[in-house]
Amino acid sequence: MATPILSEFREMFAEQTEYRELLYQLTLRDLKLRYKQTVMGFGWAVFMPLVNTAVFSVIFTRVAPIDTGVPYPLWAYCGLAVWNFFASGVKFATNSLAGNVHLVTKVYFPREVLPVAAVLVSGVDFLVSTSVLAALMLWFHVIPGWALLYLPLLLVVQLMVAIAVSLVLSMANLFYRDVKYLVEVLMSLWMFATSVVYPVDRIGGKLGTLVGLNPLIPLVDAYRSVILYNRPPDSWGFLYVTVLSVVFLAGAWLVFHRAEFRFAESV
Amino acid sequence: MSEARIVFDGVWKKFRRGEPHDSLRDLIPAMAARLFHRSGSAPVKDEFWALSDVSFEVRAGETLGIIGRNGAGKSTTLKLLTRILRPTRGRSEVRGRVGALIELAAGFHPDLTGRENVFLQGAIMGMRRREIERHLDQIVEFAGIGDFIDTQIKRYSSGMQARLGFSVAAHLEPDVLLIDEVLAVGDLSFQQKCYQRLREFRRSGVAIAFVSHNMQAVSMLCDRVIYLRPGTSPILGDVAEVVQQYVSGQNSAGDPRVAAVRCRLTHRGTSRPVSDPVTPGSWLRLECDLTSSVALPRMGFGMTVRRADGLVVFESGSTMEGHATRDVEAGDPVRCAIEFRANLLRGTYMVEPMLYDERRQWPIAALGSAVAFVIGETTRSNGVAELEPRYEFVPRGRGLLRDPLKRLLGAVHDRH
Repeated sequence: MATPILSEFREMFAEQTEYRELLYQLTLRDLKLRYKQTVMGFGWAVFMPLVNTAVFSVIFTRVAPIDTGVPYPLWAYCGLAVWNFFASGVKFATNSLAGNVHLVTKVYFPREVLPVAAVLVSGVDFLVSTSVLAALMLWFHVIPGWALLYLPLLLVVQLMVAIAVSLVLSMANLFYRDVKYLVEVLMSLWMFATSVVYPVDRIGGKLGTLVGLNPLIPLVDAYRSVILYNRPPDSWGFLYVTVLSVVFLAGAWLVFHRAEFRFAESV
Repeated sequence: MSEARIVFDGVWKKFRRGEPHDSLRDLIPAMAARLFHRSGSAPVKDEFWALSDVSFEVRAGETLGIIGRNGAGKSTTLKLLTRILRPTRGRSEVRGRVGALIELAAGFHPDLTGRENVFLQGAIMGMRRREIERHLDQIVEFAGIGDFIDTQIKRYSSGMQARLGFSVAAHLEPDVLLIDEVLAVGDLSFQQKCYQRLREFRRSGVAIAFVSHNMQAVSMLCDRVIYLRPGTSPILGDVAEVVQQYVSGQNSAGDPRVAAVRCRLTHRGTSRPVSDPVTPGSWLRLECDLTSSVALPRMGFGMTVRRADGLVVFESGSTMEGHATRDVEAGDPVRCAIEFRANLLRGTYMVEPMLYDERRQWPIAALGSAVAFVIGETTRSNGVAELEPRYEFVPRGRGLLRDPLKRLLGAVHDRH
């Protein structure tokens, strides 16, 4: 039982390596297209988190002040940039198969490439948006330290989560076009269940316990720890999200790979 | 013999007619229905077999033509070979690197430049960046795009897009090439270039599967042909034989009152039947034994020669050449023969014998028994007819002097 699955994974990896050029070209295509006919170009990558930061800063410093340990705009921007990476990647990826039907039905290539490219594009946006984060940190005199060395690890875990969710949703959206509308709703709910603009541990009660299962909470917290507080991520929380992301990714990929050959028939 | 590159072994492919569930609204009733009806015994009313038990192999350096009417499963076959679809039963296998000339511009994005699209399309076809870079100049050159390479594709004409698409595909170095009716792109000279490129591929040992409705193209390019027929088993065999079955299957059968007992095509003056490709200008003899179940007065006989794509190359009858008619009695065996010179260029041709009524000049019996022959490769591979041209450069000066008016004018001019 275990050996056929292992060899299936080996085959899946081999196929990805064979088509890595396509992954690169598709990511490049989407980046170019995104910025080809816009005036602000990459400015859009920082615009959304900045606007949200301004709005939530008014709410959580004036209307209902909360204590976050570092200046609130910095705390919120960091969370929003990370969240944006995840959410825009997933939203974009959800439509990646259905939006490229002409490719899916006419040409053979491992279909994983499409949602993964979508996630990578928002990864580039994230890297761009970190420049503003750096500027904000300078402004508020928050200096990062050695804990930044954890950052690559966090990025890997985040990519795994985003890709796993994207694989499932893009596939579901190919079979049922309702999914992309559901994703919009799901993403805004999910944001408020993650410590993006306020710490969710303040929710408390049974709802709080339920929300506490959200694996993105320790991930967003981990980013803040290593960037803003110069502390390593919380070990249990981070272990939880890492294990979950590995298991989820493996499962999602396997399901995707096995359903792949039916994609061309179902559109 | 070389190894098989494409193996299609007892392949069946089932499709579902109609729309699959596209929104959750349809899914929920469908799931409820399944729940209450206890699936398994449910009728499979909307399913049909697009391919049933199709087998073939293509070896390195060989070209297989795939023909059949619309809906016979030609494109499904190619999609199975490219792995876009998977067979319901049987085995579809392709060994080595696959190049698919199916949707040439599938990966093109209108907002990207020609150059950007070449890299994208190349990657979709499985090429590495270095490989594309190495061939970029040739690709641009072959497509005849020139300076437009850095212009957005949306400014291209559809012909330019198609040419660029073919050009990228043509510079792939595949082991197996799958082609779906794409050679209809571009103008005549570009098509010639495409055919030229395909011949190069074949010579370099690429295994090619070629889907087309153009029988002329099929007989020019293919070594063997498979004729897919919905509901019955496919016919696999030599180009001339299978193409002829396809073409005669397209036409209606002959008059049932007249039966051709035997029809054969031989080399003139021998009893050797025409089986191998014939050289242009060969003399051939068509001989037909007929019987009629009714009396047919004043009959002439003749033939239609049709190229495999349906083009009528020649049509004539005995009375047009001044021969007397003949009364055919019921049950009377008649033998008629036509000798003709095949002044034709490479391609597959069908000879259809016919009996016709002299007064009405109308074939009463297209005998549903055409015979085919193939004209083999020649140095002049384009066109239909062998015109036996003679070439000469004519010195221009002498031509002018010989013109009497010019000479007269010259004389007048000299006098002044």
